[in-house]
Amino acid sequence: MDVVALVIFALALALIAIEWVHRTKVALAGAAAMVLIGVLDQEGAIEAVDWATLGLLAGMMVIVGLTEPTGVFTFLALRVAQLSKGNPVALVFLLALVTGLLSAFLDNLTAILLVVPVTLLIADLLRISPIPLVLVEIVASNIGGTATLIGDPPNIMIGTARAELSFVDFIVNLAPVAIVTLLVVTCGLALAFRGQLRVDRARAREIAALDAARDLREAKHVRRTLAVLLGTIAAFFLHTLLHVEPAVVALTGATVMLLVAADDVEAALERIEWSTLFFFVGLFVMVGGLEQRGVVDDIAGRLADATGGSPTAEGLVVLWGAAAGSALVDNIPFTAAMIPVVDSVQGGDFDDGLWWALALGACFGGNATMIAAAANVAATGILDRNGHPVSFVRFLALGLPVTLVSLLIATAYLLVFQL
Amino acid sequence: MADLRDLPLVDATVSESATCVEAVARLFEAQVPALAVVADDGRLVGVLSELDVLRAVFPGYLAELRHTAFLEDDPDALDARARTVRDRPVGELARKVEVLDGDESETHAAERFLHTGEQALPVVERGRLLGMLSIAALCHARLDRVDT
Repeated sequence: MDVVALVIFALALALIAIEWVHRTKVALAGAAAMVLIGVLDQEGAIEAVDWATLGLLAGMMVIVGLTEPTGVFTFLALRVAQLSKGNPVALVFLLALVTGLLSAFLDNLTAILLVVPVTLLIADLLRISPIPLVLVEIVASNIGGTATLIGDPPNIMIGTARAELSFVDFIVNLAPVAIVTLLVVTCGLALAFRGQLRVDRARAREIAALDAARDLREAKHVRRTLAVLLGTIAAFFLHTLLHVEPAVVALTGATVMLLVAADDVEAALERIEWSTLFFFVGLFVMVGGLEQRGVVDDIAGRLADATGGSPTAEGLVVLWGAAAGSALVDNIPFTAAMIPVVDSVQGGDFDDGLWWALALGACFGGNATMIAAAANVAATGILDRNGHPVSFVRFLALGLPVTLVSLLIATAYLLVFQL
Repeated sequence: MADLRDLPLVDATVSESATCVEAVARLFEAQVPALAVVADDGRLVGVLSELDVLRAVFPGYLAELRHTAFLEDDPDALDARARTVRDRPVGELARKVEVLDGDESETHAAERFLHTGEQALPVVERGRLLGMLSIAALCHARLDRVDT
């Protein structure tokens, strides 16, 4: 039965990677197959689902969904374009900064969906190609999302799976390396793209003259919405002091948001991406099947044997292995499978270094290919719909060097500070 | 009750090889929100609605932006886009939609309008296009028929 479980999971990963069928259908079909064949029973399947992850995701979807109509994110992106005053290097850095920041405190996919349409507008106004700017934003979203517990789905899964790791732990251990990586990578991208981003000064002056705050002034509930968003982020920082889990913070924030800023509750709850939540449900059940059948322990045993039990070697294998797996498949299912493996490798001894290695590998690996992270798929999809297609190879030519540089920085960081 | 074939259907067709600017003129003149796009042999290829034209004439990213009150018209960019769009063949912009059958009921047509989001749909009979039915024509016929 353990072979059956492994085959179902491997088949699901392959189907997710080649995108023939929607990933949610694949995950749910894999989960259903495991339960029907008897890899795990109904109770086991329900127990395998990490409801805290689903709660955290759903809560943040509602909070962001109700903040977006205020226009605050459009304002931010437009404001940085104005601040760049037509200087292409400044524009690249400022857009990377805003995208990285939004990714860290919302999540990387949301950040991309918010900034890419405005970037198309900015590029149109400046008469430059939006492709370099959007590629910078994709990279920044994956690196920025690495910095916090809520920034990228792999971190959400790790943070909810290991209660020992608080929101502040993620920031203390991952934000510095994420910031350094973002700066280094953005420098490289600004140099690479500077020739394509020559801006006419007159066009820059026209952008500077736009009244960026006009939508904000006309929107409803701006103050109270922003207060709830910032209050929720503050509560994430304080969640260990408040003795509440991150999922409780997100769901409470979403509830307060619904109370003070939702005129239509039905419409507000439509912002919850059910396909994403069901994708996670399917993955959790499949990984639960692998755990129940001993496949996870087996992989963990092989990992320990291969590394001779050395924590440093284990950390580096987890970092580079997670990056490779995320690049080839998608960082969400790969992380879902790796969490129990890392748990098993550690046995009874908790060592946060391995978890940071997994987070860095899965999040940074998200930059390698067009399919490695949901943010990449969404951003290149928007570009394509607007007549700016980016081929898989073109993405790879940028994503692979970016990922290698990021992983080298992460390796140095782990060796010096964590392993 | 009348079947759809008895309603005031509009002969609003455009050839798939016509240009976008010709189609817009036809939309304006026919007073229906969508045209039936037909091939040279008269076969129905799809429809072209006012929204389809709007999406082609203005930048596509507007559909993904929800906040544009700060924007002012950028005449050079809009003109450049209009130049590329005006001579595009209608066949490139046409969309496949479901069709209504001449013997179907007004109530069914109303339900289809509500659920497809279209504002005008082609009515066909045995594969032959009878004309375009708009929401306004459907409702006008319904209200006009009752005694006052």
